[in-house]
Amino acid sequence: MRVDPSYVSNLVGSLDQAQANEQQLTAELSSGVSITSLSQNPVSSGQNVLLLNQIQQDDSFTQSSNLVTGQLQVADSTLGGVVTQLTQAISLATSANNGTMNSSDVKSIGAQISGILDEVQSLANTSYQGQYIFAGGQTSTTPFTTSTGGSPNVTTYNGDQDVNHIETPNGQKIQLNVPGSQIFLGAGPNSVFAALNSLVADYSTGAVNTTQAVSDSQALSTALSYVSQHRVTIDNSITQLTAASEAVTSSQTQLTGAQSNLMQADVAQVSTQLSLAETQQTALEDVIAQLDQASNSLFSKLQ
Amino acid sequence: MGTINSAFSLISGALDADQSALSIVANNVANANTPGYTTEIPNWQENQPVTISGVAYGDGVTQTGATSLRDRVLEQRLDQQQQLAASSGARSTALNSVQALFTPDSGAASATAGDIGSDITGFFNSFSSLEADPANISLRDEVLSSATTLAGDISNAAASLNAQRSAVDQEASGVTSQVNSLSGEIAQLNQQIESTSPTGNAGVLEDQRQQDLSQLSQLIGINQVQTENNGLSVTTTSGQLLAGNGVSFPLTSGTVGGVTHFFVGTADVTTQLASGGGQLGGLLIARDQDIPSALNALNQMAYNISTQVNAQNNAGTDLNGVTGTAANPLNIFSSPAAVAGSAAAMSVVMTDPSQIAAAAAGQGTGDNSNTTAMANLSNQAIVGGQTPTDFYSSFVSTLGATVSGVQADNTAQNASVTQLQTQNNALSGVNLNDEAAAMSTLQSSYQAASQVFTMLNTIMAAALNLGDQTTVA
Repeated sequence: MRVDPSYVSNLVGSLDQAQANEQQLTAELSSGVSITSLSQNPVSSGQNVLLLNQIQQDDSFTQSSNLVTGQLQVADSTLGGVVTQLTQAISLATSANNGTMNSSDVKSIGAQISGILDEVQSLANTSYQGQYIFAGGQTSTTPFTTSTGGSPNVTTYNGDQDVNHIETPNGQKIQLNVPGSQIFLGAGPNSVFAALNSLVADYSTGAVNTTQAVSDSQALSTALSYVSQHRVTIDNSITQLTAASEAVTSSQTQLTGAQSNLMQADVAQVSTQLSLAETQQTALEDVIAQLDQASNSLFSKLQ
Repeated sequence: MGTINSAFSLISGALDADQSALSIVANNVANANTPGYTTEIPNWQENQPVTISGVAYGDGVTQTGATSLRDRVLEQRLDQQQQLAASSGARSTALNSVQALFTPDSGAASATAGDIGSDITGFFNSFSSLEADPANISLRDEVLSSATTLAGDISNAAASLNAQRSAVDQEASGVTSQVNSLSGEIAQLNQQIESTSPTGNAGVLEDQRQQDLSQLSQLIGINQVQTENNGLSVTTTSGQLLAGNGVSFPLTSGTVGGVTHFFVGTADVTTQLASGGGQLGGLLIARDQDIPSALNALNQMAYNISTQVNAQNNAGTDLNGVTGTAANPLNIFSSPAAVAGSAAAMSVVMTDPSQIAAAAAGQGTGDNSNTTAMANLSNQAIVGGQTPTDFYSSFVSTLGATVSGVQADNTAQNASVTQLQTQNNALSGVNLNDEAAAMSTLQSSYQAASQVFTMLNTIMAAALNLGDQTTVA
């Protein structure tokens, strides 16, 4: 049987391959990444793109959610302030309407309610990071202004009916604002500013038309509960946002785990492979060394 | 009747034959490491017997030269396999540089730079962030900066692919001159072989021709056809004659449509060469199929993302209350005219972040519904029937699968080349053990023949002296 006389060069080829293998494994160990090129695992590389996309989306939503939660909390506490002010206005109006007060006391109550009106208007014009939060989409325009000199005065809304939403990564839409006109200028008895302006007009002269004043006080009570209803919308959004944020965080944790499994090198496995490759290399080197020591051909035996 | 004289002539013939056989062995040993050398074995021929008075007497031996130990079928198989391996090798090298542009993102923050998948996500996420506060200038700046990153990475990748394509093109056109010098040499060797040894073994000349064929097989796909008088026609795999008896037909190249095309005579054989094999075949597949398909994917992404995002931005109202029109569009990206070339040309033309149309048309600047619509483009099938991220994901999977397939092919073909090489070496390589054994045998027979000669000499002297030992020694 004839054999390939140049078998040593084939062994050197195997030695090169063993070394290339060791190099790859060492690179995996030092970088901690198991897939360094697409061809190593095309399917995982494709999945990795999708997973990273979701992880980054989740991450981005968590940040946005912190930002809008701040805005919603400002809206909520502002409406809380409005409720306090209105409650106070109602109790003032009730005391003015019971017929025991003289004209100057009534005027003073009128002045206090006028102060409350200013306070409520300034609360309705609250801004967050430079944007009016109760102006619908017209966030750069002061939403509420009150004309002076009328009886009663008239508060007008300069915003619009635009409602913003934020979308969670799975498509849920969460409401971010309630247009100010819906909260403060409801139709009929639901209008906070109309009720307040009327009360101010009622008490401004000191002579109270009790029937009218009582009816206006009742309107203010109705408007107060109307404000509270809209506050619930804001509170719901905060609750939804918190829930969505938690869901996203937990999904992000799971996705990150999956992505790590996909891309991170399994240190134990890679170390085992590396040790096998090293053994192979040593064996090959020994074989080549022995072949070198052994007589290369029959010629060395010929005299 | 045989005579002492005839014994002399017979044994001196044997000494001559042994000497020439020894020189063949020495030549084998000398060429043990010469590439393309085929081991030679001496030919021994028994001389015609002499018949005297009805009795046949042997007339010794003649050395009739050497025969190269070759198997033309094996050599052709090796050449063919080398063409395949060289093709997949060249293609795999080119594809490796292509896939290096799309290294998988490990997920670590430092590794995201330059990853188009992360760029796409980052770009659409910047709109999601803008939803939270649509009038915020720093969030708007973020949109433009992530758009710049996306456009920059896509156009860089496209520019690199174009550069790789022209590098591959240059490498391919450089192959022609090597092919032509080899086919010219083969044509000349054909002529020499046909005139010197039309029937038998052409030895060294044939070794040279085989070596040329083997080199040619690394470069392009060829067919070999044995012709009369030991000649050989070499054609491309599609049948264009490259080398015949004394004439060769050069492969020429010329630029057609911006890339190098190859001709034999006037026939354009570029497509045939691509599927033929050899280094040139692999380079042409990479140049005409692999790189253009990666470029096309980038072009589709660039074209569709640019067009759709621009259209959506023009559908809304920006921070200045302006809505884009055909005459004065609010474009974020430069508007591509056609899919082809759009990746390389992708860039961000918007400089003023207030021009991002976050609000729906006609709405106040605090409205975010158009921002939501832009963020939602990332979930719509706007690129080749898929969402941008899905498209990129399947693009990298497909590219990875192509590279890994070609690499697997190349490994298998190289293994088969090694196997054939081993078979061929076993037959045609110089085996020093065999040579040592032959040397030893020839040494013995030379010693024996010279011993016979000495004894014949003694006998001859005895015959001439007729018993007197002193006259002739």
